[in-house]
Amino acid sequence: MMCREMEVKLNEYVDGTLDPGERAAVEAHVARCSGCRAAVAELRALLGGAQELPRTIEPPRDLWVGIAARLGRRATGNVQRAFWAGALAAAAVFAIVVGISHLSRPEGRGWAAVQADYEQSAAALAATLATQRGHLRPATVALVERNLQIIDAAIRESRAALERDPGNAELRELFAAAYRQKVELLRWATRVATAS
Amino acid sequence: MASDPTDLIHRAQRGDQVAFEALYREHVGRVYALCLRLTSDAAQADELTQDAFVRAWERLASFRGESAFGSWLYRLTVNVVFLHFRAARRRSLRVFTTDDPGALERPEEAESGGPGAGRGAGAGALDLERAVAGLPPGARQVFVLHDVEGYRHEEIARLTGVAVGTSKAQLFRARRLLREALHR
Repeated sequence: MMCREMEVKLNEYVDGTLDPGERAAVEAHVARCSGCRAAVAELRALLGGAQELPRTIEPPRDLWVGIAARLGRRATGNVQRAFWAGALAAAAVFAIVVGISHLSRPEGRGWAAVQADYEQSAAALAATLATQRGHLRPATVALVERNLQIIDAAIRESRAALERDPGNAELRELFAAAYRQKVELLRWATRVATAS
Repeated sequence: MASDPTDLIHRAQRGDQVAFEALYREHVGRVYALCLRLTSDAAQADELTQDAFVRAWERLASFRGESAFGSWLYRLTVNVVFLHFRAARRRSLRVFTTDDPGALERPEEAESGGPGAGRGAGAGALDLERAVAGLPPGARQVFVLHDVEGYRHEEIARLTGVAVGTSKAQLFRARRLLREALHR
């Protein structure tokens, strides 16, 4: 039988947390007390047994299905990104449709408002893409940026031509086509980024 | 061929559920063992294992690789389990007593799904699993964290919300009860 007042010290002794003086005192006690000596042996066997318990226990059923279902529901970040990307893309398409209808009806809101619609939609999509570009491969980002530079150059040229000849319907269509390409490219890149 | 764990973690952090499933397959045994030993209840261990992986998915962005992914996941699991205990206590759905000398007299807990039930462990390990499962909850939890999982008392105090002295007292009590149970 272990000396009751020694319980804490014997536990700390087997844990190796005693300072040298206390350790020496416990060792001296254990040397002359068979009950405490037996208790130390039992404690060491218990610790050894605990450390040898299996590290892993496989669950009796596959829990992944339940987990995966909850990941889908809780992937709010992805869902929100997809929603906003979709909403912005829809807004951009709406702006293009409205813009094209104004191209054929010069008495409408005016050319400046149509341009503003395009620019606002493209800017919104570009802002969304900017937050998601880390999800795209570097080669894809480089390709998107190179194409955007080409389209932006076409937009700048058609805008400059329209300033010189504001009533030219063909130039307006050219301008609208360039912006449509830009919005389509941004939509595609945003969709890929939010899906990856 | 096994996938590179760092690559799996990075892919999972970008929202790749296939990569996260691979991480689940790699770690579920350890997470489940921890939940089962801390709760001594197979149904709760099922539920908490799922909670732990869902929480890990939600918090993957906060994993910076400063420790091994496994260590991060197991600490998160302990947090999930103890949050569950605290919530359960608040709801008073289940009251854990820390002074329940009759607990060691209930080997049926282990036989009905506690750790060691239905597994091919050696006789000594099985006896120890059953004895651990029968400990009063507070003593069992500290024993599992300290002697099985290797946590220090300071970490246990931080994870479980008890004082360091309480953690030590529960550990020594658990060892006393286990020695008595195993040498009966």
